[in-house]
Parts: sequence; C-alpha cells; structure tokens
Amino acid sequence: MRTLFFKNKPFIMKHFYKKICLLAGFIGLLASASLAQTRVTGRVLDETAGEAVIGATVLEKGTSNGTITDFEGKFALSVKDLNATLVINYTGYTSKEVQLNGQTNLDVTLAEDNGILEEIVVVGYGVQRKSDLTGAVGTVKAKELERIPTASLEQALQGKLAGVYISPSSGEPGAGATIRIRGTGTLNNASPLYVVDGMLLDDISFLNPQDVASVEVLKDASSTAIYGNRGANGVIIITTKRGLTDTKASFTLNTYYGTQQIAKKLPLANASQFAEMYNELKGNNYYPDPAALGEGTDWQDVIFRDAPMANVQLGVGGLWKKLNYNLSGNLFDQQGIMEETSFRRYTGRVNLEYPVLKSLRVGTNMAYSNYKFNTVGGGVLGGMYRMPPVFAARDSTGDFTDPTFFGQSIGNPAADLFYKNDQYARVNRLVGSVYANWTFLKHFTFRTNYGFDRRRDYFYGFEPVFMVSSSQLNNEERTARDTAKIQNWLWENTLTFDKTWDILRLNVLAGQTAQEYTFNKRRTINDILQPNGEENSDWAMLSYLGRVNATFYDRYLLTASIRADGSSRFNKNNRWGYFPSVAAGWNVSQEPFMRGFKLFDRLKLRASWGITGNDKIQNYPSLGIITPELYGAFNDTIQSGATLTNYANADVRWETTEQTDFGVEFGLFKGKLTAEIDWFRRYTYDILGDLPIPDYVGSGSNPFVNAAQVENVGWDFTVLWREVKRKFSYNFGVTISPIENKVLKLNDGKSEIFEARTGQGDFATRTVVGLPIGAFYGYQVEGVFQNQEEIDSAPKFGSEKPGDFRFADLNGDGKLSADDRTYLGSPIPTLIYGLNAGFEAFGFDLAVDFFGVKGNKVVNAKAVSRFDTPNWEKIWYDNHWTGEGTSNSVPRVTNGGHNYRMSDFLVEDGAFFRLRTVAVGYSLPKSWLDHARIRNARLYASGTNLWTKQTYSGYTPEFPNDSVFKAGMDFLNYPMAKTILFGLNVTF
Amino acid sequence: MSKLFKYFSVAILVLLAVTGCQKDFLDRKPEGRLTFEEFFQTEAHALEATNAVYAQYREFDMCALPYLSCTDILSDDADKGSTLNDAPLISDLDNFTLDATNPYVAPVYRGHYRAIARANLAIENIPNIDMDATLRSRLVGECKLLRAYSYLLLVQWFGDLPLITKTLQGDEYYSQTRQDKNLVYDQIEADLKEAIGVLPDKNGYAQADKGRATKAAAQGLLAKLYMIKKDWANAEIQCMDIINSTQYSLLNRYADNFLPIGENGSESIFEMQTVALPTQQAAGPGSSPYNMVQGVRGIPNLGWGFNRPSDNLVSAYENGDPRREATIIYVGEILPDGSTQVQDNPEIINERFNQKAWVPAHSGLQDNGPGNLRILRYADILLLAAEAKNEQSKAAEALPLLNLVRKRARGTNNFILPDVTVTDQSLLRERIYRERRVELAMEQHRWFDLLRWGRAAQVMTAAGKTGFVPGKHELLPIPQTEVDLTSGRIVQNPMY
Repeated sequence: MRTLFFKNKPFIMKHFYKKICLLAGFIGLLASASLAQTRVTGRVLDETAGEAVIGATVLEKGTSNGTITDFEGKFALSVKDLNATLVINYTGYTSKEVQLNGQTNLDVTLAEDNGILEEIVVVGYGVQRKSDLTGAVGTVKAKELERIPTASLEQALQGKLAGVYISPSSGEPGAGATIRIRGTGTLNNASPLYVVDGMLLDDISFLNPQDVASVEVLKDASSTAIYGNRGANGVIIITTKRGLTDTKASFTLNTYYGTQQIAKKLPLANASQFAEMYNELKGNNYYPDPAALGEGTDWQDVIFRDAPMANVQLGVGGLWKKLNYNLSGNLFDQQGIMEETSFRRYTGRVNLEYPVLKSLRVGTNMAYSNYKFNTVGGGVLGGMYRMPPVFAARDSTGDFTDPTFFGQSIGNPAADLFYKNDQYARVNRLVGSVYANWTFLKHFTFRTNYGFDRRRDYFYGFEPVFMVSSSQLNNEERTARDTAKIQNWLWENTLTFDKTWDILRLNVLAGQTAQEYTFNKRRTINDILQPNGEENSDWAMLSYLGRVNATFYDRYLLTASIRADGSSRFNKNNRWGYFPSVAAGWNVSQEPFMRGFKLFDRLKLRASWGITGNDKIQNYPSLGIITPELYGAFNDTIQSGATLTNYANADVRWETTEQTDFGVEFGLFKGKLTAEIDWFRRYTYDILGDLPIPDYVGSGSNPFVNAAQVENVGWDFTVLWREVKRKFSYNFGVTISPIENKVLKLNDGKSEIFEARTGQGDFATRTVVGLPIGAFYGYQVEGVFQNQEEIDSAPKFGSEKPGDFRFADLNGDGKLSADDRTYLGSPIPTLIYGLNAGFEAFGFDLAVDFFGVKGNKVVNAKAVSRFDTPNWEKIWYDNHWTGEGTSNSVPRVTNGGHNYRMSDFLVEDGAFFRLRTVAVGYSLPKSWLDHARIRNARLYASGTNLWTKQTYSGYTPEFPNDSVFKAGMDFLNYPMAKTILFGLNVTF
Repeated sequence: MSKLFKYFSVAILVLLAVTGCQKDFLDRKPEGRLTFEEFFQTEAHALEATNAVYAQYREFDMCALPYLSCTDILSDDADKGSTLNDAPLISDLDNFTLDATNPYVAPVYRGHYRAIARANLAIENIPNIDMDATLRSRLVGECKLLRAYSYLLLVQWFGDLPLITKTLQGDEYYSQTRQDKNLVYDQIEADLKEAIGVLPDKNGYAQADKGRATKAAAQGLLAKLYMIKKDWANAEIQCMDIINSTQYSLLNRYADNFLPIGENGSESIFEMQTVALPTQQAAGPGSSPYNMVQGVRGIPNLGWGFNRPSDNLVSAYENGDPRREATIIYVGEILPDGSTQVQDNPEIINERFNQKAWVPAHSGLQDNGPGNLRILRYADILLLAAEAKNEQSKAAEALPLLNLVRKRARGTNNFILPDVTVTDQSLLRERIYRERRVELAMEQHRWFDLLRWGRAAQVMTAAGKTGFVPGKHELLPIPQTEVDLTSGRIVQNPMY
C-alpha cells in the first residue's frame, strides 16, 4: 500500500529534481524492508487512574531506537536483546526506566510529575534542559505553527512570543515579515539572525514552515552572546523535523486549500465625488453634472480579486537499520489578491543521521527549494490609488483608457496588468549542512558542521511594444534578465566536554568557525550587459567561541560565554570584536526549605548580562570604491571615466549591544499555570548608520558612521494556563511586552537625525536624544483658514489661501518656518500583546490567536505621493473645506503644496487588535482508522486575519519598511488578505 | 592522558588550519572594482577622474527640471510649462512662493557640490601621478575650470557658500559654515586664472578631445565673474582677449547654434558634451535629459514640455526679429527638420516649447538626449564686451560689438533690427540689456543677468510675479535639509 501511495502521487514528485526522485525510490525500499530483531510489546498506563497513556515515547536506553504508544497505550519495539533497558517518557509524567530481564511483554505505569517538566531547549551550539537555562529563550513547537497557513515561518510566529514583534512584510504572496526582538536597537538592519539546523542565515524564504519541528527565540545576552556579532538583534534557532526513532516508517500527508480576499478596502472618493472636487480644484465646471457620474470605477475592484491558495506536504520518517531519516516534499501555491501576482514554491527536504561507529554519527539536513514570485511591472498599486474613478478600465472602443487627458502622468493600472504581467523572480536554492559528531573519552564530543546556502536568483521581465498614453508606453520590446549567484558557506568546529557528577553538571564548549559569502549579479536587457550591470560583493568572518554551563545541586546555575569575531567589513584596526556574557540562575523550588511549600511546583530566578554586536551593513563600509562608467562624451564618442563618488569611513567599527536581564519562571497548581517574566535593558552604542550628511560634502551616498546610543527597556510576560484531563484539555495563554525605546546620545556632535522623505521631499522623522528612533516630526495643524482676514492676521508661510491649513507657530516668532515643526508621535509600539486559547475534547480541537499593538503612530505618507493624487481618499471628500465655516479639519482641494507638508494631519493612531487565527479541527476516531492502518487523521478549517480593530484609515497599520526611520510610514503596500481554508492531516 | 593529548592536538591542528589563512580570508574588496587606494596611480586614472567631473553635468539635477526651474522659469523668460498639475512645486519657483523645502532647489545645490567634490578629488590627486607633465597640468586645469563654473552658478543662486576646495574628512562633514561671497569670488578667480595658464586653445586639442575646456572658456567665465563684481575693466580685458584671438566668429544663421550643426562650431566657446549612442536603456551613457524635459508634449511626443517660453518673452522681441522663431516652437509650426507639425494639446494652455532644446530624431528614446549643453557662446562674449565698454563710457567701442550681434540676427533682411547708434550711456545700456535678453533667451542666462544688473525685483514685479519680495528672492533658500543637518551652522538666507 505504501508503495502504491508513492506511485499515485507523482504529481508533486515529478517537479523535484533528480536527486529527490532517487530518494523517493529509496523510500519505497525502506517501506518494504523487513526487520529481524527481538520484539517487545507492552502498555503504558497512568499510575493513579490506570488508564492508557497515549503518545508516550518508549526508547531503548543508550540507542536512538524507540517508538510511541498508540491510542490504547500500547507499544511494540524491536530491541537488540532482552537485557535491554527501556526508557519511557511522557510530558507531565516522571520519566521511568524498566529493565527487560527477558520479558517480551510488559505493562509500565507512570507517575504524574509535580510540574517539573524536563523540557529540552535548543540553544546556540547545543541543547540544554529548560530547568538549567539561565537565559531568556522562547519556544514555539510545530503544532502551534501549523495552524497558520502561510508560506513564511515569520508570519506564523506573530503574537506567539513575548518580546517578539512581527509585522508582515505585506499581503503579497510569499512575503516574509519584519521581526524586532525586544525593540529596535539599531539604526540599520534590526532583523534577527536565523540559525537553521546550524546554518547562519539572514533570509529564510526557502523554508517550508511544515518542515519545522521547533523554533527557539534567544532574547537575552546570555543566550545570544555565543553568536557574538550577529546576536544583537536576537537569534531565532530553527530545528527541522527529524525522523521519529520508530522502526516503522511514518508517513504524513498535510494538505489544505483556501481562498483569500482583501481584508479591508480603502474608502476612496467615487466618480461624482471626484468630479466635484476636481471642479473645485480647477475652479470651473469641468464636469457640469458631477452627480450624474455616480459611483464610477472603484479601481480596487479592478486590480484585486479573490485568490486561492493550496498546499500539499508529504513526508516520511523513521529508522531504517541504523539510519534515521526524514524526507518531505511540499508544494505551496498562492495566488495573490492582486491580479497577476502569485507565489509558488517547491521544497524537498532530506534529513539523515547515521551512526558510522558507536562514537561517530554523521548526518545531513538539506533542503532544496525552487520558488517563483510572479509580479507586475509599472505601478499598479499607485495607479489604483491615484486613478480617477470617472474612468473605466477600457473605453467604449475597447482600448485602455488614457488618463493623461487630465494632464496627469498616471498609468492606467489595468493596462499595466495587461502589458507588464510577464515578469517573475525565481530562486533556486540548496540550503543545508553536513556534520559529523565524534564522541571520545566518554565525555568529549567533537563536532564539525559544514553549512551552505547556494542560490541562483533569476529575474525575468518582458514588455511588449504598446501605447496607452504619452506617459504609459513602450517603444521597443524589452526583455530584462538579471542573474545572481549567491554562495554562502559556514564551517564550524566545536569541542564539548560534558560530565555529570553528584553535585555538578558541567558542560564546556570551545569552537572555531569560518564563514564566507559571495554575490555575483549580471543585468542584461535584450541580452546586452547593462552599464554597471555586473555587481560583485563578498564578506567573510572568522570566529572563536567558548562557553561554560555549570549546575550545582540541580539548583545553582552558572553560564559564561565569550565569542571573538573578525569581520571583513571593518578595517584591520577595528576588525575584531569580543562578546562576553555571564548569567546565573537559582532553582528555588529545588531547595530543601521549599519542600513543605506547596504553592510553587517550580520557581526559578535568573539574571544575565552580556555584550553582542552587529555588523549587518553593506559589505565595504570602510573602503572607498571607485565608481566606473562616468563617461566623458567628447567628439561624440564615449571616453572612460571613473572616480570616487561614494565616500567611505575607514574608522567604522562594531555596533555593540549590552543587555541586562532579570527573569523569574514559576509553575503553580501542579504545573497548570506556568509563567515567565523578564525585565530587560538593551543598551546599544556605536550604532552603525548611513546617516545623511550635508550636500556640500558632495558624496553620492552617506558613509556609515558609529552614530548613536539607544536604549530599549521593557518587560516580557508570558503566562500560560494549561489543563490536560483524560477527556479534554484546554489552554489559555497571554504574552505582553511593554517596551520603551529612547535615543540616549548622538555622536559627532549631532543633535538630530532627519530621515524619511515624503512625496514632497520633506523629512518625516527626526531622531533626537530622549525620544524614540524615527519619531515623527512636522507641523501641527491648528485648523483651516476660513477667510483672508484670518490669513492676514495669522503667522503664515506666505502663499496660503482661504481653505489652507493654519499651522501652529510653535516658537511664537509671528511667522511660520521650519522651526515650527515638532514631535508628532512615535512609530514604535509601547505595548505588544498576544492572546491565545485552545480547547480539545472528543476529537475536536479549537484554537484562537489574537495579536495587538498599542502606543504607536503611523503616517499616511501615500496621501502625499509624488506629483499629486488625482483621486482623493473619501475622508478628504467628506470633510474638506469648500467655503467659510465648512470645515476646520480638512483643507480645500489642492494637489500638492502647502497642505501636503508633513504635519499631524497625516499622523494617525497605529494601534490595532487582530483575530490572527481561528482554527477548528476534528480528529477521526481511532476505531475508524485502525483497519485502514492510519494512525491519525484530522480535518480542519481555519481563518486568518478575519477581524481587526483599527482606527487607521489605510489597509493595515503594519508596514514592511526595513529602515527603522520609516517604520510607521505607509507608502502604499500590497494589502493584507484574510484567508479561509480547509485542510487534512493524515499520519499512517 | 597521552590519548587525550592526541585528540586535542588534532582539534588544535584543525583550528590552526583555518586560522592560518586568516589574513587573506578577512581582506575583502569587490571583484572587478578599484578601491580609492588603487586609484590615481596612472595617466589613465587621471583622465578617468577628469572625465567623471564632466559626466556630472549631464545629470538630471544639473541640466533638467531643477536647473531649468532655477534659471529660465525663475526669470521672466519662461513659465513652468507642461500640464497644470505636472510637478506643481515648480510653480512655486515661477511665482516666488517657494520655501526652503522646495524639491527643485536642493538638487542644483547638491548636484554642483558633487561636481565640486569630483573636481577637488582630481585636483588633489592628479598632481601626484607619475605621467606626462603637460597632460597632468591640463587635466588639473580642466577640473579647476569646472569647479569654478559650479561655484559661479552657486554663488549667484545662493550668495555666501560653504567653500569646499578639498575632499572633506569625516570629522569635517558637519562643521562647515558659509563663507562670504567675496571669498568665493576669489576662489573662482584663482581657479580660472590657473586654468587660463594651462589650458590649450580649442585648436590645441586633438580631434578625440574636442569639447574639453579651453583657455577661452576659462576667460569667458572669468569675464562673467568680473561682470558680476562690476570690475568692468578686467571683464573687458578677458572678453577682448577672446575676440582678438580670432578663433571665434558668429555663425551666419542664428538658429544653427542650437542644431547639431552648431555644436562645437565657430561660435561655441564652451559646451558640456553629450551624445546619444544606441542603447537598450532609457538613457545611454553619454546622454542628457535636457532635451527630453523641454521636448514637445503631445503630438509629436518628444518630451515633457517643461520650460514654456512666457508671454513676456514673446513680446520682448523687436518686430520681425527672426530670433523669436528660432527660440520658440508654436502650435502649428513645422519642426526644424521638417518632420512634423506640432498639434494642439488641449491639456496645455498657451502651448509653446523651447526650440533651443529641440533635437532631431536620434538613437534611443527621449531620455537619450543628444544635445550638447551650450554654456558659453561668442555672441554672449560680444555682448559682455559691449556692456563692459559702455559701463566705462566707451560707447563708440561698444556699438560695433553690439551691432555685430544684431547684424547676424538680421541676416539678409535689411528691414529689421537696424544698427544701434545711440551713444548715451544709460540709453545704450538699455539697448544692450534688451539685446542680451533676446539673443540669449531660453539659454538659462536671463536670471543671472537680472541679478547682476540689480533688476530682479523691478522686472519680476513688471512681469506680474507678485510673490517676489525684494531683499529675499534675489537669493534662493539654502535647502532646509542642509540647515537641519548642520543644526543651524549653515544659516538660512534672509526672510526664508
């Protein structure tokens, strides 16, 4: 049957490359392999109730051979001989070891644990018992991730972890997310480091979330300092699924199909409203009868659609002879809610581990992925926003409407969708690692791990000859092709000493790593290499690391680590950075004096301090690179020209973050309530930034400088109530993260950093000491000038007319100038929170996740986009000034100019609260499945982004801006979708 | 224990293996690119660095919307042009309602300081290169001329300036202040005098280098500086030097100056060289957007239609002056190459285009503009000479120079543009001023002429530009970002 299964599913398999096909054949072999060992059967029962314990792991001690109990608590396991010892584990119960002594059938009873869960947590370069942990580490398991159907793991993590702020990049198919761990501690790239099965990466778009077994987020310096220079913004460790240590192959099928639609539409003026406003703008009756025009075209209906998404995942894992394997193939296909956009990804994963010798294990974790983003050229979104609703997509003759009749250089978005849809970005990528683990002298382990990320990025764009208007045309067929080759390898060698004495558990780690990244890109149009069309870049890093973990009497914990990093990005003198950390923990509940104290079944206090760094800026900030192709054009021919146009800063050095963390973890009511509370202070200095320099310097770009000091102080609260009964279980969890971001100092005698230009070129943010990074800055609107007398007697710029904004003269000098600008709010939420709840009974399961932020502002920057906005948002129509006494909040109709200055008119509340997911599932009863030899089958339905409470007028108050200076600015992005889907998980 | 030692030795050897090559491993630079340390080593580098200064003048900021906004459109020669709502903030320059954040002012400031930075770098580093000494000093001279040209424009626009004559280092980025404009004048004078000393005449260049800065170009710019300073005697000397060199003469047909045939012709003293090569990009490597942004908008579709010759300019010509036809494209007119008739574009009121920016069909798209940017013509020098002489009460010497220009404009039609005979200093001054306007209209000289004549306020008011505030608008505002970034060390111009 299993062989058949693969024969019948060539649909996915045929899309994989040869290697994967070969492996599929190999799986067939595995499935039919017979086994010849001694077989032991038995049952695992609850000690007090005598009922079956379902899903307990049964392991042959000293091996990776094991199984899990079924719905009746039964297990069967083949062991080497009948003197073996079995180790039985189940969450919530104390682990038990049973020596077989010749028995082939046995019942094992487990006693409930008093809340001390010996969870194992993945940390940098190793694993640790959760109780031994001195750092702040958040964990999310596969089960919680699977509920959110998305191509990107980042999006699935939203709201799951305290102190982790995740904002989806956009609703675009396949989009990732912006992640901030414990605030924004830098002026440049504030994204965390990803470690996927030991490979250090900045981009995990290749990763199929369903291959992920667990995600650990390292937040404090005690856990991140081992990653040294890349730890400052937090570290996300991703572990992909391994084969169960079961002799039987376990097959899984996960599939879902769903549909997405735009979560919220923008209220824009309709045709008659537009015509009215246009008449006012022109001061004539260009449209004699606006009302007759009616609704007109809502251009959102032209470019958006309901779009399907589908996912199929097939996997097999288990143990064949001594080879532990887990193989999977996945197809994810998402049409975008904007026409002509889609994302499709094929992934194949091979995770293998084999004990060559008793002391030597070798293995690999490898994923091949091929993904493709179909996109549209031109400015479809901008066209939608600006296109007058008086036009239809096509005119009466069937041609695309030419909107330049208005003297606007807008493109008809329907024409862009039609002519510019033949373009895509495709990525071919092989990411993984191969490793060997050699245990010697009993307590030593040497591990060598070679990780790699080899990718080819390919962009293709074809534009036919077409003509819609004088500003929307293409005179010549163009085929653009960009090819990029990106290679990244990492070689890590670590030596670990691990020994347990009666009073002491000691783990000592020393290691050395090297990493190299190269990037080569070629741009061609019609197969001709373009000027400056070759781009080459590289960086390298060399590191040494060491760590000691010591646990005394199971209750006194001590961790110290250090990492030295050498980065090619800095000059010789500044190249090496040293990143130490120390931490201590105290398991109070293990103290003898706590024995009689029944309230806490777990109580731990911990404190950590450490230093991490960040060098995630361009690759050559300290090198002046000569710009070529600055030609002389003498005698009607080209003469080669080149010079230094972009200044560098030879003295640029590490950005450094010093973090202090105090945490308490406790469990109450026999482990039903668990809580983790942390206070932290992240102090970042020598912050790297390519800050604007005055134009008189003459540099074409801004050199990186060590520019500022920033502090993030906050709390992470995680509280979880979970009760597991025999018939039902439920849980309720809350994460709350209040945080305060403040700039402490700006270097080089600077008192302010201006950034984030809006459509008219004004700076929208000003970063100063005492306020958050990228705080909004501009004029304060006092009202609208009602008549000329008001203008004459008020402070003004000079060109105001009745109906224009009256800005506040904040410095009281009787006139308006740039000095009257002021702080208009912070883009950084002061509170991030998540709520989640789950319930399981009679085979049904229900899960609900909420996510919200508070305390931040956003700027509707799209409303002041380039040139002007031919159409207006409906709020402008509803409230705009049309004569004395008509409005004091929205100005008269203008296109650009005075009323489009950066002011609090554009600033809105960024708070929102969203029902991120709701999922309902039903697991088919075991009795139905048994004779089909199916272990588990679950049907489910889930909804994403179904409901959001927000005051912001735009699509969503979350924006995909990488720059911390533009964090809360809406430049019009691909809107968010809400999704409803149905799925099936089967294991057999 | 010896076993343990063996294991550790192996581990340490592995570590050393990687560490051993650490020096090379961490020294990185982009493949196929030179770093500054490797540059300025050879004669080729010196040439490249000099060419790179010229290249900057073809940038959008330096010759397209920002430049035209701060010259012709600011003056009474031209209006914003294009359609009403296209680039509305240019109207704030046209109408003098601009403030310090206007997005068409900052680019000219930025663009010229970038040119200055490229020139500074070349001037600092070329002298240290082991190469042909004559070529070396010529290249430095070219860069000095270009630096002087940029400062000459900037000082007229903005007044006092941060005077940057060397490559700034990191600790100097924010600490500059504005220097008195007389110090800027001194710098321009020094640079141009050095250029005059080393630059060849136009015949001194090989054919392949046709269009590089010449001695006469430096003299012409120096004459302009002296005119600004009202140093009439020195201005006269420089102009007469050029005139007496007999290297230059007026073309027979005025209109030819602006056609391909006039490029680097006998009347041309300095042009920024531009060429449209076949290209797959919108704009090829030697092109400029100057022609496109002023090109006919509508049918034929030649460009964006900015910088529209104003009503005021139309009425500034004497009856029958053929220079009006050569300067302005009207609706219904057939283009100079006879290719097309310009159709009425209903989007544009009073449709007119700058004919001096018109170019015939060329390789590539509109963006690939081929027209050389005319900086200095012989006619300009003749009129400057006439003006300088008249200011020194040498009307008799001034008149022939002025009439040379009128005679050429007149061509064979003796019924128009009679010779000027007036000798009264102030009356002749008016005639010279008017002649400069119509002869050089739409060539981006008018605003600067009004400034040095002290007539900006008078003329702007007369042209109905009611926004003009005397004592304020003779200078453009320093870009607000510059004031913001230096925490006010760069002081704003009065009343902005």
